[in-house]
Amino acid sequence: MPQGLAAEMYIERYPSLANIIMTLQFDHVYTSVVFYVLLALFVVNLVGCTLKILPSQIQRTNKEYIMSPRNNAEELYQPGLNQDLLRQSLQKQRFSILEKEDGFVASKHRFGHIGSSITHLGIIVIIIGSIIGAVFADEGYFNLMPGDVKSFPEYGFALRLDDFSLGFRENGTVEQYYSKVSVLKADQPDKEATLWVNQPLAVSPLNFYQTSYGWASRLKIVNGSSEILLAKVLRNGESAFLQDNHMTVYLYGFYPNFTITSEGQPLTMTEEVKNPHYAVILYEFGEHVGSYIVEPGQPIERGEYQISFQDSVLYTGLTYRKDFGYAFVVAGSLLMFLGLIFSFYLYPKQVQVTSNSVKVMTRQNPWGMTFQVKKMVESAMTGEENASWNK
Amino acid sequence: MEQIIFWEETLFTVAFIAYTLAALSFFVHVALKKELMGKIGVLLTSAGFVIHTAAIILRVIESGRLPFSNQFEFATSFTWGIVLCYLVLHYAYRFTAVGAFVMPIAFLVMGYASMLPKTIKPLMPALQSNWLYLHVGTAVISYGAFAVSAGLAAMYLIHLYQKKDDESKSSLLTAETCDYLSYRVIAFGYLMLTLVIVTGAIWAKAAWSRYWAWDPKETWSLITWLIYSVYLHLRFHRGWTGKPAAWFAVIGFLCVIFTFIGVNTLLAGLHSYLS
Repeated sequence: MPQGLAAEMYIERYPSLANIIMTLQFDHVYTSVVFYVLLALFVVNLVGCTLKILPSQIQRTNKEYIMSPRNNAEELYQPGLNQDLLRQSLQKQRFSILEKEDGFVASKHRFGHIGSSITHLGIIVIIIGSIIGAVFADEGYFNLMPGDVKSFPEYGFALRLDDFSLGFRENGTVEQYYSKVSVLKADQPDKEATLWVNQPLAVSPLNFYQTSYGWASRLKIVNGSSEILLAKVLRNGESAFLQDNHMTVYLYGFYPNFTITSEGQPLTMTEEVKNPHYAVILYEFGEHVGSYIVEPGQPIERGEYQISFQDSVLYTGLTYRKDFGYAFVVAGSLLMFLGLIFSFYLYPKQVQVTSNSVKVMTRQNPWGMTFQVKKMVESAMTGEENASWNK
Repeated sequence: MEQIIFWEETLFTVAFIAYTLAALSFFVHVALKKELMGKIGVLLTSAGFVIHTAAIILRVIESGRLPFSNQFEFATSFTWGIVLCYLVLHYAYRFTAVGAFVMPIAFLVMGYASMLPKTIKPLMPALQSNWLYLHVGTAVISYGAFAVSAGLAAMYLIHLYQKKDDESKSSLLTAETCDYLSYRVIAFGYLMLTLVIVTGAIWAKAAWSRYWAWDPKETWSLITWLIYSVYLHLRFHRGWTGKPAAWFAVIGFLCVIFTFIGVNTLLAGLHSYLS
């Protein structure tokens, strides 16, 4: 279901479900009450589960802890097994040995017991980080033309766009776009920096991101005696209104390298200014009176008025965001990943050896461990080194 | 340059043929219990993998980057990841019959890749980041592992419909082996998928200002991750091994396929440039 549309759109698209959608806030489901309640229940569940299992997991990391064999654990003992050789093989694989009356217990990766709790903790930290981010976040979007300044008085600095440029490939397509800015702070020298996509700028506590760009063009309307009635900068898709004759000038688009499609639609082949044209639509008293394709400075004659566009410049679109929760999210992700490594690769392993029994104990991978210890037992019978262990 | 493109496409086609023949050989190996066909299948898979790797290297030379930026490139890399995971498993444990269930998946994904436009386009600004290689590289391995786990789960399910006396003569792995191997491969794929999501979030923060935006690709990756999380929890805490675990592995892989193909073709979002 599309998110964030106006209520009318849901009524039009889903007439029988629109009431339910709006009541349950499914038009913005990830910030709805239902979603937050489910998230809260998930966190409570995760915390409860972790608190329940953590004490016993910590106990199991004790060197003396002996794991219980599975009911269907395979007996790997073979008559003639040399316990010393098996012990040596296990020690080579960094198992620690706990001697017993009738044999020994070899253990490895005892701290793997707490792997799942570390994973859970990581997820909890991520969720906490996202909540902190949502509560304290400050974000927005703004456009700047070269020379424009955007102030952030609450943070004590301003950002001035010194230059904006496009990087082109040989075929004329845009490779990257660059905003050269200066950070202006009272009593401090200006600090210059360049942003591009994937290269944000950090000005504590905000981060600035290169998001978009576009063209802005200078509109001029003059009367028969060359008196300027209206001068204004319009972006593509914007319009200006002239009160005198109730005329609306709508800039459909600026096309730096203009062509026209087979369907008669204006199109720019590249963003390089090679063949600039403007597509302009005029309305009077709300009625369409004409559509025009004109070159820079070429006037559109409408009665005693002349309408023209020129001096198109690129403007930059920047997003700013403050997110205190992000550090928590990264820390939580690292914890979660560490927990998963503990759970799946550094999981606890134990081999219990007596005079007439060899059994492997592990919850995670008894099949794989049995497969490998079986080989070690066979080597311990013949005295061969087992090089394939833990491949 | 044109010669490189010619050789890349030729090697891609030869690799596709090798994978197709390998899938057929493995099928004959399992259905008719012909050991030789199993060995031929492994040989064809290995040769196909080498040729496929050469095709990918040529594409890297042509484009000057790893092949991770559109649907064709991901599909061919995905197939490469599936075959890599299968070969690692095969050479570690020598379980030839697994190929009968994994190589058909590789064949299907490679077939899908062969139908997509292969043109090389320069990277759009948002993709010009080293995170691309880590994010998509881990996805290739993760998805490959899930494909292998689904193949193993399918092999397990075949066991359920085999008579006991047939099972003893079968070239298939034992049911228990399929079950455990499938789980281990899922555990590996899950770890990789976690990396996919985490690296994607860090990259999104640098490129789009937000580490998570509930984009359809992100949401479906999370759904896939949750499905495999449930699988792992049920396995440990509810003893869900065998049949339910096998079905879970298959459903998880269907979710992977939807995240890869369905989301790119049906749902618009921040990742739409992939389609």
